[in-house]
Amino acid sequence: MSNVFVRFLIGGLALLVAVGYKNYRDLAAPGKRPDLDNNAYWGPKLGKQIYKENKAILPYDITVNPEVIADLKSQLSRPLKLQEPLEGVGFEYGFNANELRQVVKYWRDTYLTNWSEREQYLKKLDHFQTEIQGLKIHFIHAKPSKEAGKQGKKVLPLLLMHGWPGTVREFYDFIPLLTTPSDKSDYVFEVIAPSLPGYGWSQGSSKTGFGVAQVAVVMRNLMLRLGFEKFLVQGGDWGSLIGSNVAGLFPENVLGYHSNMCGNNSPMGNLKLVLSFVFPSWFVDGQFAHFYRGAGGLFKTIMEEMGYAHIQATKPDTVGNALIDNPIGLASYILEKFSTWTNPAFMALPDGGLTKRFTYDQLLDNVMIYYVTNSITTSMRLYSESMNKAQSSLAVDSVPITAKTGCTRFAHEIAHTPDAILANKFPNLVHSTYFEDGGHFPAFELPEQLYADFTAFVQKADL
Amino acid sequence: MKCLIVFGVIVAVFGAFVGYGYLVFSELTRPLPKPEFSDSTYWGPGEAKSYVPDKKIYEFRLDVPQAEIEDLRQQLNRTLRLAEPLDGISFEYGFNSYALDQFVEYWRDKYLTKWDERQELFNKFKQYTTEIQGLNIHFIREKASAEAAAKKHVYPLLLLHGWPGSVREFYDIIPMLTNDQNVTDYAFEVVAPSLVGYGWSDAATRPGFNAAEMATVMRNLMLRLGHKKFFIQGGDWGSIIGSNLATLYPENVIGYHSNMCVLNSPLAILKGIYGTYFSEKIIPSRFFYDHHFPVWDKYADLLRESGYFHIQATKPDTIGAALATSPVGLAAYILEKFQYCTNPGMQQDFGAIVTVFGLEPVLDNLMVYYLTNSITTSVRFYAENVSKAYRDLQLDRVPTPVPMGCSRFRYDLPSVTDWQLRDKFPNLKHSMYFQQGSHFAAMEMPAMLYQDFTAFVGKIGLHGEKPK
Repeated sequence: MSNVFVRFLIGGLALLVAVGYKNYRDLAAPGKRPDLDNNAYWGPKLGKQIYKENKAILPYDITVNPEVIADLKSQLSRPLKLQEPLEGVGFEYGFNANELRQVVKYWRDTYLTNWSEREQYLKKLDHFQTEIQGLKIHFIHAKPSKEAGKQGKKVLPLLLMHGWPGTVREFYDFIPLLTTPSDKSDYVFEVIAPSLPGYGWSQGSSKTGFGVAQVAVVMRNLMLRLGFEKFLVQGGDWGSLIGSNVAGLFPENVLGYHSNMCGNNSPMGNLKLVLSFVFPSWFVDGQFAHFYRGAGGLFKTIMEEMGYAHIQATKPDTVGNALIDNPIGLASYILEKFSTWTNPAFMALPDGGLTKRFTYDQLLDNVMIYYVTNSITTSMRLYSESMNKAQSSLAVDSVPITAKTGCTRFAHEIAHTPDAILANKFPNLVHSTYFEDGGHFPAFELPEQLYADFTAFVQKADL
Repeated sequence: MKCLIVFGVIVAVFGAFVGYGYLVFSELTRPLPKPEFSDSTYWGPGEAKSYVPDKKIYEFRLDVPQAEIEDLRQQLNRTLRLAEPLDGISFEYGFNSYALDQFVEYWRDKYLTKWDERQELFNKFKQYTTEIQGLNIHFIREKASAEAAAKKHVYPLLLLHGWPGSVREFYDIIPMLTNDQNVTDYAFEVVAPSLVGYGWSDAATRPGFNAAEMATVMRNLMLRLGHKKFFIQGGDWGSIIGSNLATLYPENVIGYHSNMCVLNSPLAILKGIYGTYFSEKIIPSRFFYDHHFPVWDKYADLLRESGYFHIQATKPDTIGAALATSPVGLAAYILEKFQYCTNPGMQQDFGAIVTVFGLEPVLDNLMVYYLTNSITTSVRFYAENVSKAYRDLQLDRVPTPVPMGCSRFRYDLPSVTDWQLRDKFPNLKHSMYFQQGSHFAAMEMPAMLYQDFTAFVGKIGLHGEKPK
């Protein structure tokens, strides 16, 4: 009798192991590149016309109608009806009303008075626009100086992408570093920094279904339009996600991928993430253990910080309509992220530490781009169109990225992913770094640091 | 012999797990005693020790300066650059831009033009303010009519609204409650306050003012008005506050009626999962299955609809500032809830709000938030109620002997079954399922809510009524 029992036990365990092993092999196997329409049309309905893409690349004038500035000034001059913060509270309940009053005052009395200076500053980089798949896409095109060629530096094209609630403005100190030759690097870069579709001066899609993968197709087509068959990609936030989609979907076009927010949303990546909560030492180098907060920390972060993502992924029209033509509301909603995501410790400060790493001019430049282009609603739709079953069933994260990859981690970023968990998505990870400083917007906050890391990656990648 | 030992060890380990599991289960699900709770915390500005209480009751009349109405009209007259909805989308992504354009136009050109009429309507019930625990509380107080008082048993009733509602929700049901209706032997003296941080009531100036504190202030308000024992009726936060009041101060509550019977104790959640698979054991009819089950579907719906809850519970001042500075923004945000709380067949319909609620009542309600500038303090309530301090009270696990009545409107947020409710309300006297209606029952179908509430009151047997 015991013989039979033991045989059943062994047989059952063997079956379990076999099933587990097969599922593991399935999980670990590289995913198939999804079939996407590289010419899908995303513009407004055409009726009887057939779409004919206008391939012209034209300089773009970002000059703001003076009436918009005058109207903004009068809106900011209205009596403020903000609720006093609760006693003893900094930014724990969101953007502190006293700090918002300060921002509004500066915006109205100083920033807008100097608007023509700000506008000139924004124009110091060259702006262009072209039409891709029905959408007018704006981009900055920054070429390396002629010196670079003389100094024997190799020029590589670079697609540089921002996220939410950022804009191309984040790159104004970063781009000059990329285009100027330096002793640190044999390379300089020709930078294409687009406004993501639906952000800033780029048109948003008129159709549903325009998620991360579809944006990646547009961005890659933009680079082809500009004559770049092979290019580097760098990004954070959505820029990082779109970038990894470009690298996964178009390996033939991507020389290398660098991100300050590397992640792995494939089933294997998520399985390893769960395992890392139980057995952290298997996945994380002891030296950097303090960068990882475990299941409790991750859950707490999601709960506390993802309210905006939750509402934008489900009701973008409601919250977008709440912020259109609402400069003070827009400032509150956007700048809260520049406080908390730069350093969570800033939440305890009555002024949110906004001016510890940024100037009001920088922050308001960024807000102004959303305001004058009226793009807040279309910017939020990237969430609703990406965080759904249709997008996740494409399983782009399961497609391994063959290009050389560099991942850098700034200490106060919302969440980090260790190399061990990135492995199945980034088999060619040649560069991986940690910095004990900096937050979610390193190009904006620590451009020198990000530049040093990016060029170190490119050197290592030996392209 | 050896394999017998191995077998024995396996059984012992298995038994230990089961035993431990049972211990954990009973620890999580056993009922808890009423927690200690202070009923006199000072919530006003400044120090408690320098507080000089003012117990007087002052009359209140709404009288908005014309300049404010003019200013609102000007703000509503700005050119709106709302984003076009995506192709084929109505309200699936929130409040539709075309609909918002139309509402703003109506608000500005028609509604505000007859503001004086609307203000008259607001003032048709007697209103007062009085100071409770340092906070000025606004409330409607309508006594039973003379005819009703002559023929009916009259009891005090505390009527509690929620978010994004206001006392305006009760303007149709109050006359039913205070007058002689042929369906019941009861009439009521109605007290309908603006919640703390809502409407014309003050807001707390310190963190910590959660639903248990709210219940305390409301109970103290009733005591101030001379009502030591009273009924409670509420939906949304009003239901939760009412439940807390019945739990913390059962000696004051004759009966508690809710039109949003939710319960989130661990036991209720586990029972809900069980009920998904064995519903026939726990609901009175298979026709009511969709009210509660399957729980996974209900959670999916909640996930889609709770973005506002998430942002309000974590960053209330951010979203509050956004909505306080733009009446159009405020309209989009609040109207979305009215659009959704019609019924699934109408949620994408551009005429839904007009058909189900009427434009004026909805705009009246919106004006309460706008005129009092209370949107930020109203959403802070969400943050206070997800705080550890509030969750630690675990009030959902504390039973109360107070008689309870539950009405479930088909398209409201999912409710729990009687089987779950009785763990907290063993004295559940009345339970009703409606196959229509949604979240704002008092506004949408006041007669049905009134009917159901008075049916509950009758079942308590206050005057010798026998249960049927």
